[in-house]
Amino acid sequence: MRIEENQMWGYFEWLIFKFGLLQGVLVVFALALLGFIACYLVAMARYGPSEGFYHVTRVIYELLARDLPGTSFNRVYALGKLAFQEAIRRRVLVIMAVFIVGLLFAGWFLDPSSENVARLYISFVMTGTSYLILLLGLFLSCFSLPADIKSKTVQTITTKPVRPTEIILGRILGFTAVGTMLILVMGILSYIFVVRGVVHDHGVKDVSADGRLGSTTVDARHTHSFEMVPGEDGNYAEGTTDEQKGHRHVVTVREVNGEKTYEIGPPQGLLEARIPVFGELTIFDRGGNPTMRGLNVGYESEYQSYIEGNSLMAAEWTFDNVYPARFSGGDTLPIEMSLKAFRTLKGDIVTGVQGEIILRNPNGRIESERRPFVVKEFSVDHIEIPRKLPGSQDGVPREVDIFDDLVSEDGQLQVVVRCTDGGQYLGMAVADLYLRAGNANFGWNMFKGFLGIWMQMVLIICLGVMFSTFLSGPVAMVATLTSLMLGFFGGLALDVASGDAPGGGPIESLIRIPMQTGAMVDLDLGNPVLENTVKAIDTGIMYTLVTLFQAIPSFGQFNTADFVAYGFNIFGGLVARHLTMTFAYFVLTSVIAYFFLKTRELAAA
Amino acid sequence: MSATTAPEVESPETPEVDSDVVIETRNLGKVYRDFWGRKKVAALKALDIEVKKGEIFGLLGPNGSGKSTTIKLIQGLLFPTSGRAFVFGKEARDVTKNERIGYLPEESYLYKFLNAEETLDFYGRLFDMPAEVRRERSDKLIRMVGLNNARRRQLREYSKGMTRRIGLAQALINEPDLLILDEPTTGMDPIGSREMKDLIIRLRDEGKTILLCSHQLADVQDVCDRVAILHLGELRELGRVDELLKVRDVTEVHAKGLSDELKGKIAELIRNEGGEVVTIDNPTTTMEELFLDIVQDDRPGSRPSAT
Ligand SMILES: Nc1ncnc2c1ncn2[C@@H]1O[C@H](COP(=O)(O)OP(=O)(O)O)[C@@H](O)[C@H]1O
Ligand SMILES: [Mg+2]
Repeated sequence: MRIEENQMWGYFEWLIFKFGLLQGVLVVFALALLGFIACYLVAMARYGPSEGFYHVTRVIYELLARDLPGTSFNRVYALGKLAFQEAIRRRVLVIMAVFIVGLLFAGWFLDPSSENVARLYISFVMTGTSYLILLLGLFLSCFSLPADIKSKTVQTITTKPVRPTEIILGRILGFTAVGTMLILVMGILSYIFVVRGVVHDHGVKDVSADGRLGSTTVDARHTHSFEMVPGEDGNYAEGTTDEQKGHRHVVTVREVNGEKTYEIGPPQGLLEARIPVFGELTIFDRGGNPTMRGLNVGYESEYQSYIEGNSLMAAEWTFDNVYPARFSGGDTLPIEMSLKAFRTLKGDIVTGVQGEIILRNPNGRIESERRPFVVKEFSVDHIEIPRKLPGSQDGVPREVDIFDDLVSEDGQLQVVVRCTDGGQYLGMAVADLYLRAGNANFGWNMFKGFLGIWMQMVLIICLGVMFSTFLSGPVAMVATLTSLMLGFFGGLALDVASGDAPGGGPIESLIRIPMQTGAMVDLDLGNPVLENTVKAIDTGIMYTLVTLFQAIPSFGQFNTADFVAYGFNIFGGLVARHLTMTFAYFVLTSVIAYFFLKTRELAAA
Repeated sequence: MSATTAPEVESPETPEVDSDVVIETRNLGKVYRDFWGRKKVAALKALDIEVKKGEIFGLLGPNGSGKSTTIKLIQGLLFPTSGRAFVFGKEARDVTKNERIGYLPEESYLYKFLNAEETLDFYGRLFDMPAEVRRERSDKLIRMVGLNNARRRQLREYSKGMTRRIGLAQALINEPDLLILDEPTTGMDPIGSREMKDLIIRLRDEGKTILLCSHQLADVQDVCDRVAILHLGELRELGRVDELLKVRDVTEVHAKGLSDELKGKIAELIRNEGGEVVTIDNPTTTMEELFLDIVQDDRPGSRPSAT
């Protein structure tokens, strides 16, 4: 699981500073312009230049002045309810049955001895739900309107005072209602399934004579050993087990009638929704100066930066708003990190690569002592730093308080990581080290994860309804799927469309073919005005393409199941952003669908 | 002066609102094209008709003569390839005109998974009618069309005639001023057919306007005030039914219980008075004669002047 930098943005940060709003407006504008031109060309071919213009503007006028104001809640409700009933009649509830059967037989293909049962179960239920729901959305939305047109029932509808807007909204809302209902039920069943599958009890197998050490029975295919800690009266009252499969249990002792009974509590750390506080990462190069990126160790994945051991290289995270209240009172500051190690020497494999961590006030004057650590690869290293710890001010040793001394006036704290193994490297990305601000509720987090599936479903329904206003059912389905694929691989397509590919844009390339000039040679037509015109048109075409690609929802980003499975709280800002985008696509597809439906001769099919 | 508030896109040719004319078509024509835009059928050619308030207007013609096409053009379900159609002075494609229209399509295109009550409730909602009005009207209409015993049964279980009846009820849910009926009696038994015709006449007497099309001569002859006869998409006859059927130099005498002897006497009397006996017989459907006359006369362009 990798949290992308853009996923950490707050809602308004995305909307305003990351140009989410601007981009949306540009996409809408470009699409509107393109749509107008396309419609005009079609209308011109049919009615001639001026008559065609009249027809196109007429439709826009009708939308804004008549159909939108005339849209009635009652009619949308009636049509939505009809779509709902139609879906139920098409036995969509079978999907529910498939899901339940899947849960019942999950034991056959889910390995309960897996290292992280919770992750496995969560991934299973969420993947299952999303496949079923997305398939459902696809079929419902693509086939409904074409079926109505074919059976001519749409003629009885459109001869009532029904606006095209209402037909589209009714369908989208009706199918969304069906899907919402199913997702809700599936979500609740999933939650029960995951909790029941993960929660387990242990009994006590044996305890050492002095009552300090012990071990538990084997349950859920694992056993723990535990160690008791003496209380104030010197007796063993409480202890914890070791960590197995990502969780621990609390062990308590009770004395009843002079006899000690050990009780082992529920597993802790399994169903979590960790709230990370991410910072900003700066890498310092070998000279100790800030740089854009650290070293690239070649074959390793690109997104991490590497720092070299025993050099001036360092990684520095700066965190904002570090206040005790955010860290449950602030007795300790929990830091979690999952760094990568890269070895150049055959060192001691067992101890691993070593590093150190320093907390620092951004003013650079006060800092904590160096705290060494050994990189735990492939798992999250959890460090609890006590509030008061040894440190120094202006080089003079003293005890420092994290929140009073190390956090600056405006709430900033810096965490510096260095590698202390000469010749070895540590790799990190911005999300690889974060402050841990407690836990959010797991159920609520799972709800947000299912909300992600819900948004994907809405997106599919919108696209399906849009395409079904002018395509037959199967073709609409293919078109919807194609859009989704493009959305999945949107990043790739974007590179092609925006890249400064050698040889220029489409027109320039076309010119180059007969001229047989190499792609690296500048275009020479002997006429600078012409050359610039060609380039300008090409830029226009390329820009339009880029915009269009951006208009395709990058479908995968709405999927936040990994957050749930890997125990990260899904940030509210991310959910809000996805909801905003879903709504934007809903509006966009509805408008496009309106234009197609409005100009379609429904009885001629 | 508020005369200039009409939106710019409204073309100046919109007819002056003559409250007496409910439907008007001007040079209305439709050519069906295939996917590639190639001409397939010229289903309707230059139709000019006016339907007046309070009359029963019939479109008569053989199968494929363009009756349904006309009706769909008038309702904006099809877009004309030439000319225009207006209903209540509004363009055919303006959905607000539908507030006052009830339409019974060729076949009742209804949702088979709804029952009679749900069907009427659904269409009632499409007129934004409040719940109690919907309930009261659907109850009244279900009784009126004689489906009281089947009101909770899904339409998929309905027979053709029953489907027709619920279709009619659906068309009346908004108490329309204009009722458009495409082949209203097909699929109905003789009693149902009679009831339908009585209903049509009753609705006309209540002041509603009715446009119906049919290939059944008896329907048209029984109920229509005026008819337009279409053939191969062309208007062949237009006028009052009684005028069209009146053969001015022939007198028809209807009598009952005449003996053959008496018939002979009457024939003799006519001859004696200088008349000519054409037939003395049981009367035939003269509408049929007129109809066959037109349909067999296949020359194109023989359109008579309309009254
Ligand atoms: N959707 C259509 N596509 C192509 N041709 C059609 C279509 N609908 C009707 N037609 C043709 O138009 C003509 C008139 O049809 P129609 O108006 O349905 O006749 P009627 O209702 O008088 O029986 C017929 O030749 C018919 O085949
Ligand atoms: Mg017909």
